[in-house]
Amino acid sequence: MDLLSDAAVSAEGLATQTPRLVVMPDSDEDFAAEAINHLDSLYRGALRLTRDPEQAQDLVQDTYVRALRYQHSFHTGTNMRAWLFSIMRNRFWDRLKTQHPGDVSLDDSRDDFPLYERVKDEADGPETLALNRIAATEVVAAVEKLPALHREIVQLVDVEGFSYKDTAEVLDIPIGTVMSRLHRARQQLQKELYQYARESGILAGKGTE
Amino acid sequence: MNCKDCVERLETFLDRELSDAEVVEVKRHMDECGGCVQRFEFYAELKRLIFHSCGQERAPLELRDKVGKLLA
Repeated sequence: MDLLSDAAVSAEGLATQTPRLVVMPDSDEDFAAEAINHLDSLYRGALRLTRDPEQAQDLVQDTYVRALRYQHSFHTGTNMRAWLFSIMRNRFWDRLKTQHPGDVSLDDSRDDFPLYERVKDEADGPETLALNRIAATEVVAAVEKLPALHREIVQLVDVEGFSYKDTAEVLDIPIGTVMSRLHRARQQLQKELYQYARESGILAGKGTE
Repeated sequence: MNCKDCVERLETFLDRELSDAEVVEVKRHMDECGGCVQRFEFYAELKRLIFHSCGQERAPLELRDKVGKLLA
């Protein structure tokens, strides 16, 4: 179920579905002033999706072009950041599906990874200390090893602080799917971080393997 | 609430998505369970680590200029 049917609703679709009696933003300046406030957040999201600074810049620029085009479909007073993110991710997925159609599904293994137990067994000292020995660049590298659907949900919830409800809206999936996808994404990320901690000597590896 | 119920709510608790009533129950359990407290602290620290690590990048000035011109 966790496939990409949700990407089918494009920003264009949203725009045409919106009733005509939409309240216009107070002014174009208000819209622009708020839209630019979300630039850093969108750029980070684009970096996670594309894993490439140049492509990320293109994607963000494209997002703003589209946002201006569909400005009339934005409801003043609603969450503009979520609206911009949904435009951006739909754009990204439209492109990805044509370029690498194989990269849109998820490895849906059902086993939970017991990170806490492993760290407790293998860390030399308190468990949280072991976490703090992992450099930021290594965390980014671990996230970037995940499939795009997992990278994006971790970025939305854990980094940008989106609620489940707003995440569901951006990804156009039910809240239950947000929770299960997020759980799987975190399990996979924890596996990657564990692997790194073992390879770098942060964990001693008294476990199996 | 036992440890299993508590651990099942760990993610929604840390995401601040648990109902107020359930938060009270989780906290009540943790008042008596050091093991769950340690586990929650570990995953809270992990969430902070991800937040700080992936939340540092800022849009390059070049992009800020381009977007600024688009919106002008």
